[in-house]
Amino acid sequence: MGKVIKYERDNIDTDVILPGTYLKLHDYDEIAKHAMEGIDPNFHARVKKGDFIVAGKNFGCGSSREHAPIALSHCGIKAVLALSFARIFYRNAVDGAFLLPIEIDEAAYKKISENDELEINTDKNEIKNLTKNETYPMKPFSDIISKIIAAGGLFKYKPD
Amino acid sequence: MPQTLFEKVWNSHKVTEIDGRTLIYIDRHLVHEVTSPQAFDGLRINKRRVRRPDLTFATMDHNVPTNNRSLPIIDQISAIQIKTLETNCKEFGIELFDLHSPYQGIVHVIGPELGITLPGTTIVCGDSHTSTHGAFGAFALGIGTSDVEHVLATQCLVMDKPKTFEIRVDGKRKHRHAITAKDIILSIIKKIGTAGGTGTVIEYRGEAISDLSMDERMTVCNMSIEAGARAGLIAPDNKTFDYLKGRKYAPKNYDDLVNSWKADLVTDNGAKFDKTFAISASDIVPQVSWGTNPAMTSDVTDAVPYPDEYAKGNKSQEDAAKKALEYMDLKPGTQITDIKIDRVFIGSCTNARLQDLVEAADVIHGRKASPNVRVMVVPGSQQVKKQAEEMGLDKIFQDANFEWRESGCSMCLGMNPDILSRGERCASTSNRNFEGRQGSGGRTHLVSPVMAAAAAIAGHFVDVREWF
Repeated sequence: MGKVIKYERDNIDTDVILPGTYLKLHDYDEIAKHAMEGIDPNFHARVKKGDFIVAGKNFGCGSSREHAPIALSHCGIKAVLALSFARIFYRNAVDGAFLLPIEIDEAAYKKISENDELEINTDKNEIKNLTKNETYPMKPFSDIISKIIAAGGLFKYKPD
Repeated sequence: MPQTLFEKVWNSHKVTEIDGRTLIYIDRHLVHEVTSPQAFDGLRINKRRVRRPDLTFATMDHNVPTNNRSLPIIDQISAIQIKTLETNCKEFGIELFDLHSPYQGIVHVIGPELGITLPGTTIVCGDSHTSTHGAFGAFALGIGTSDVEHVLATQCLVMDKPKTFEIRVDGKRKHRHAITAKDIILSIIKKIGTAGGTGTVIEYRGEAISDLSMDERMTVCNMSIEAGARAGLIAPDNKTFDYLKGRKYAPKNYDDLVNSWKADLVTDNGAKFDKTFAISASDIVPQVSWGTNPAMTSDVTDAVPYPDEYAKGNKSQEDAAKKALEYMDLKPGTQITDIKIDRVFIGSCTNARLQDLVEAADVIHGRKASPNVRVMVVPGSQQVKKQAEEMGLDKIFQDANFEWRESGCSMCLGMNPDILSRGERCASTSNRNFEGRQGSGGRTHLVSPVMAAAAAIAGHFVDVREWF
C-alpha cells in the first residue's frame, strides 16, 4: 500500500529523473536524494517508502543510466505506473530489481489522482484504488519478466 | 524466405532460446566511467571475471574536463570515478584509452575510428547512443548497468526479438552543405515522434541515405534512440568498407571479410518490414528544435508554434508544448530566426567527427563570433582533434573566437565542468534538448554544426542556406 505521486505528462526522461551532474555519485542513498530533481525539487522530501509514481507515455526515455530507477527505488518508490515505458528504463528496473514498471490504460491513468492510496496485486494483475474504492487492470508482465521479478532480478533468475 | 539485414545479424548471433527470449552473443563491448563502476563491483562481489576482456574496450568521456589535460581534475568526485575505471580495467585486464591516450574520445567516436566497430557485429555499451555504430551495419544498442555486468560476465544478452522498421529517405537533399544528416534525422523524429520507433530496429534506406558519408550516417543512426528505437542501422557499402580498412583494430583478413559482408549484409529483395515510413529528402530544410524533446522541432523558416496548432487536438501534447515553451521562455509566433542565443556547443557523439568540424569551419569565412555569444568546439576524440589541427581548423575556430577544446562529451549532458548557467540559451549540435540536460535551467536548441556555427556569428539562428 502506498500513495500516488502523479505527473500528468509524457516523455519523462531520465535526465529529469536523475540530472547528469549526479551520475558521478556511487552511493545509492546519495543518488536517491536527487530523484526527480529536474522537474520536482521537493520530491525527495515528500516521497515515502512504498509510494507509486503515475505518469503518461514513454516514461524513462533518453539516457541508459540505471541511476534513474536506482534513484526512484532508493527513495522508496515501489512501482511506476505509466501508459508506456522506454525500453532501457524498463529493462533496468526489472533486471536490477529496483521497481516494478507497470503499464496501465488511459482510463486508469485518468482516474488515479495525486495522493490516492493504491494496492497492487501482480498475481491478479489488478490495481486497487483504496481511496476511491475502484479497481483497474494492469498489463500483465510477460512470462520471463514475471520470472525475473519473482527471482529478484536478472542475476538471481535461473532459467527452467 | 527473404530477410532484412537486421534479421540476418540477429539470426547469426543467436546462442539459444530461454523462456521465450533469445540469448544473443555480443561481439564488442564498449565501457565508460559512468555506467560501469557498479557492474565491476558486482563481478567482484560474486567472484566473477570478465569473460572476454579481448572484446571489451574502455575509455573515459562523460565527466572529463575538456580544458588543458595536464591540469589535475578539480572535481574530486569525477576524479574518483575516472580513477575507478582505471583500477577496474587494470584488475580485469581490459584495454583502456585513458585521458593521456592518443585514442581517447567519446566512446561512439573512437569505436569506429579504431576499427573496433565492424559490419554485421553486435555491439553494446552502457550508453543509449550506442545506436551510432549501426551506421556500419552493426546491431548496436545501449544497455543499463545490470546488463553491462551481465555482458562482462557472459558476453551475452537476453533479448526479445525487436520488430523491423524501414525508414526511407528518398531522392536528394536540395543543398549538400546547408542541409545535413542532422536535419534528416531531426525531420524524421519530428514526424514519427519520440516513441515512434519503440520496440523496433530501424533500417535507414533510400538514395539520400546511400549518399551520406560515414560521418553523416553515424549522425543519423546516433539519434535512433531519440525516436525510441532499440537501434538503427544502415546496410554497409563500399564507403563503409573503405572507411574501416587499415584502422588500428580492423581484422587482418579484412579483404576476405569484405567479400562476405558484401554477400551477406543486405536486406533481400522482397523482405518484409513490420513497419515502414518514408520521407522525401528534397522536402528537408535546416531544422531547429524549440521544445524540450527532439520531436519538438521546426523548419528554420517557421515560427515557434502555438501549442494548440502543434497538438492538433491532442490535449496531452498541447500541455507538453505549453510546458516546453514556458521552460524555453519562448513566445508562440516568434520567428525561429529571431531567437537570440547566449552559447554555442559544437560537439557530442552526434556531431563531433571530422566532417562536422570541417563543415562548421567552412561557414566562418574570416568572421568572428557575435560578442555576446560564447562558443565551444569540442572534437569527439583525440584523433579527430589531431586531424583537425593538421588541417588548420583549430586556427580558423580560434581566429573567430570559438574555443578549441580537448575531447569528451562536454556540454552534451551537464556532468562535467562544461555546463549552461540557468536561463542561458544554447545552439547545440548534441542530441537531447531535455529540461536541464546541459545544466539546470539551461535551454537547448538542437541544430546541425553549420547551423550552430552560423548562429554563433550572427548571435541568433539564421537560415544557413543563405550563407552558401
